[in-house]
Amino acid sequence: MPGGRVCGACGCAEIEVDAARGDAVCTGCGSVLEDNIIVSEVQFVENSGGGSSAVGQFVSLDGAGKTPTLGGGFHANLGKESRAKTLQNGKRQIHHLGNQLQLNQHCLDTAFNFFKMAVSKHLTRGRKRSHIIAACLYLVCRTEGTPHMLLDLSDLLQVNVYVLGKTFLVLARELCINAPAIDPCLYIPRFAHMLEFGDKNHEVSMTALRLLQRMKRDWMHTGRRPSGLCGAALLVAARMHDFRRTVKEVIRVVKVCESTLRKRLTEFQDTPTSQLTIDEFMKIDLEEECDPPSFTAGQKKLKIQQLEKALSKKLEDFEGEISSYQDEIESELENSRPKAKGVFANFTKDDSIDDNASSILGEEEADEELEAAANHLNKDFYDELNEKDRVKRNEDGECRNGNETLVRPPALESLLGPLPTAASLGITESIKECISTKDQEPGENTGDGELDLSGIDDSEIDRYILNEAEAQIKAELWMKENADYLKEQKEKEARIAKEKELGIYKEHKPKKSAKKREPIQASTAGEAIEKMLEQKKISSKINYNVLRDLNSKGSNTPKKEDDSTDDSTNTKKLSRRKSIASRNIANPVNSVGKRLRPLISTQFAKKAATEEVTFPNAQAEASDVEKPAAVLVESGPVAYNPDEEVEEEEVEEDEDHCMSALQLLGGNDYGCDMDEDDGY
Amino acid sequence: AGFCNEKIPPSFLRNIVSTVNLACKLDLKNIALHARNAEYNPKRFAAVIMRIREPRTTALIFSSGKMVCTGAKSEEQSRLAARKYARVVQKLGFPAKFLDFKIQNMVGSCDVRFPIRLEGLVLTHQHYEPELFPGLVYRMVKPRIVLLIFVSGKVVLTGKWCLSLPAAHCYLIF
Repeated sequence: MPGGRVCGACGCAEIEVDAARGDAVCTGCGSVLEDNIIVSEVQFVENSGGGSSAVGQFVSLDGAGKTPTLGGGFHANLGKESRAKTLQNGKRQIHHLGNQLQLNQHCLDTAFNFFKMAVSKHLTRGRKRSHIIAACLYLVCRTEGTPHMLLDLSDLLQVNVYVLGKTFLVLARELCINAPAIDPCLYIPRFAHMLEFGDKNHEVSMTALRLLQRMKRDWMHTGRRPSGLCGAALLVAARMHDFRRTVKEVIRVVKVCESTLRKRLTEFQDTPTSQLTIDEFMKIDLEEECDPPSFTAGQKKLKIQQLEKALSKKLEDFEGEISSYQDEIESELENSRPKAKGVFANFTKDDSIDDNASSILGEEEADEELEAAANHLNKDFYDELNEKDRVKRNEDGECRNGNETLVRPPALESLLGPLPTAASLGITESIKECISTKDQEPGENTGDGELDLSGIDDSEIDRYILNEAEAQIKAELWMKENADYLKEQKEKEARIAKEKELGIYKEHKPKKSAKKREPIQASTAGEAIEKMLEQKKISSKINYNVLRDLNSKGSNTPKKEDDSTDDSTNTKKLSRRKSIASRNIANPVNSVGKRLRPLISTQFAKKAATEEVTFPNAQAEASDVEKPAAVLVESGPVAYNPDEEVEEEEVEEDEDHCMSALQLLGGNDYGCDMDEDDGY
Repeated sequence: AGFCNEKIPPSFLRNIVSTVNLACKLDLKNIALHARNAEYNPKRFAAVIMRIREPRTTALIFSSGKMVCTGAKSEEQSRLAARKYARVVQKLGFPAKFLDFKIQNMVGSCDVRFPIRLEGLVLTHQHYEPELFPGLVYRMVKPRIVLLIFVSGKVVLTGKWCLSLPAAHCYLIF
C-alpha cells in the first residue's frame, strides 16, 4: 500500500509524514495511512548520574555483512556477538602477553590487527588461541625488529617452541607477510644488558657487534640460531675487556646449550681472524672470507670418502700380492716337510675333518653369505688350498697368523656338505635356487589381466611366502601377541550382530552421529513413541517402569519382545540389554502435550546381564505397584550396575515423588538444538 | 652474492612413495600369517607392513585392497616393487590386480657445490627461520614441490616432479 503517495480514501496526494511520531496522515481527509512506521531518531535516556545518554548500539563493520534478523534468528544474533567476543578476548590476551614482553602500544595494536586478519581467514579454527596470539605478537616483533625471540614467547606460554613456530609460519604464509630475517646484532644490546657489564656495557657491545660482523662475513651465521652466535660473540668480547663471564652465565642469558656455544667458539677459532690479537682485530679487517662450516665439513667428508676408496683399492692389490706370496711359501714348505706315513695318515685325515667341523662352529659368525658367494666363484682354487691346509694342520699351524683367507675354505667346504645349523640351511636353499635352473614361467595370470609379471622372478616371490609349518608357528606367536585385541574384536562383533537384529544398530562413526533416520511409520501414537524411543537415546533419569504403565496397552508387548529376544540371543548379557530396551520401547509416554526426549545412553544399553527369570516377575511387580500412580517418574538416576537390586530400587523409588517428566528430562533438553523429525 | 656458475649436478632420488589399488578385499590376518616378511599389529595400525629385499622397499597393505609402497630409488623400481607385492598377494590366494599405479611423492637431494647465502635469497614463496630450522624452505608453485636449501649447498627436493625439472629450477633460483 503506497503510504506516502496517494491517499486511499480521498485520492489526495498530500501526505504528511511525521518522523517523530511515526505516522503518515492525509491532509485532505485526515485518514491515517500509516502508523508506527520505522523511525530514525535519537532517543535519550536518563542514567543514574542524572545525565542523559543516547540509546543505541555500535554495530561493527564485520557484523554488518550478515543479514540482520531483528531478533528472530537466534543463531544470527549469537554469531555476531560471538565474533565480537572473540576479538575482545583476543585483544585482552594480546595486551596481557604484550605487557609481559614490554611491547609498546603501537606493536600491540598491530598485533591486534594481525589477529583480526587471522580470525577473518579462519586461521584460528582448530588452533589454540594462545598459539595464535603468540604468533601474532612474534610477527609484530619481527616486522618491528624488536629483540624478542620466539623462545621468550614459548617460555611465557610454556609451549614447545616448534609448535609455536609452526603456527607462526602458517600465519605468515596466510597473511602473505614476509618477515625479514633475524639479525643477531639486534640481540646484542639486550643480552649485554642482562650480563651486567656496568660502565663498559657500550664498549663490550661494540666489540661483540664487530665480532658478529666478522662471523657473518665468515659465513658462520647462516642457518644458525642467532642467539647462539650472540652468546659466543659476547663471551669473547667480555674476555677481551677483562670481564669474567663463564660459559654457564652466558648460557643462562642466551638460552642455548653449552655444546652449541662451544661449537661456535671452535668454528670461530678455525677462522683466520681468531689468530689476530685484540688490538689487531679492532683495527684490521681481513679480506678473505671463509666458507660456512657445514660446507667445509661436507668437503672434508667427501675427501675422506675418496681417500677410503683409494685405500681399499690399494688394500685389495696388496692382499692379492700377499696371497700370492703365501701360496709360494706354502708350496715351498710342503716340499720341504716330511709327509705323514701309513696309519697315521688316516688318523690325521680324520682329525682334520674334526678340526674342520669345530672350526665351522667357531666361525659361524663369519659372513656366511659372503663365503657362499666366494665359494661359488673360487671352488677349485679353494679345493687345492684345502688339501694343503689339511696337511698343514697336522703341524702346529705356524702359518696361521696371517692366513685369514686360508682359514675360511674348510668352513666353506662343509657348508655345502652336511648342514649343521638352521642358518646355513636357509642359505643353502637360496644358493640352490640361484644355482639350479629357474622354474618355468608362471604364464597364468589368474585372471587379472592387469598385473604385468615381466621382470618378476616367481621363485623370489615364493621365498616370501611361508610354508605350512612356518605359517603355523607364526600363527601361534601372532595369536599370543594379539590375544587381547582379538578378544575385543569378537565381543564387538557379537554386540553388533545382536544390535543389528533388533534394528538398534547404528554405525558408530567417530565424532559423527547418525543423523539421517527413516521416518517413523506407525499406526498409533503409542507405537510411534515406541519406535522413537527405540531410535533415540534413552536417558538414565527415566524410570521405564512408570512409563510402561502409562499406557496399559503397552504392558503386553514387553513380554512378547522378551521371548523373541530370548530365543535369538545366546548370552545373558545381550538379552538383558535387549529386554531393558524392549521395556523402554513398551513405555509410551502419556501425552500431556509435552515433548519427551529421552536420551538413550549407550552405557545404559551396555549393562551386564542379570537373570532373565526375574524379569517377568519384576515387571509384574512393577506394573502392579505403579498402576495407581498417574505420572510417576523416578527421582534419582537409574543405577548403572545392573544387579537384580536395580529393579527393586526402581520400584521403590517410584512412590517417592511426583515430578513432571519435563522437569526431570527437559530442564536442559528442551529448546536445544534437536532434530526436527522429533515432534510429537 | 655472485657465485661461480658450475654445471648443476643431477639430483639423486632418495625415496619414492607410490600407491596402487589391488582391487579386491584382503584378509590381513591371512596375509600376515602366511608371508615371511609381513608384520601386522592391528592394535597399533590397521595395515600389514610388508618388506622385500630386491628393490629395498616397504609396503603398507590395507584391507580395502589399497597399497602404499615406499623406499624405492627410482620410478621404475617403485613400479617393479609394487608389482612384486601384488604378486605376493596373488600367490597368497587373493585375486589381486594392479590398478591406478600412481607416484605420490618423490624425495631427491642434490648438491650445487657452492655455499648459498640464505639471507640473500629474497623470493616470494620461501620461509627462512634460523630459529626453527637451519634450511630455507622454498615452496615452488608451478610444479608443486618444496625445496629445502641449506647453506652448505645441498638441496633437498620433495614433491611430485620428474627428473628434468630440478636443473631448471636451480637456474631459476640462482
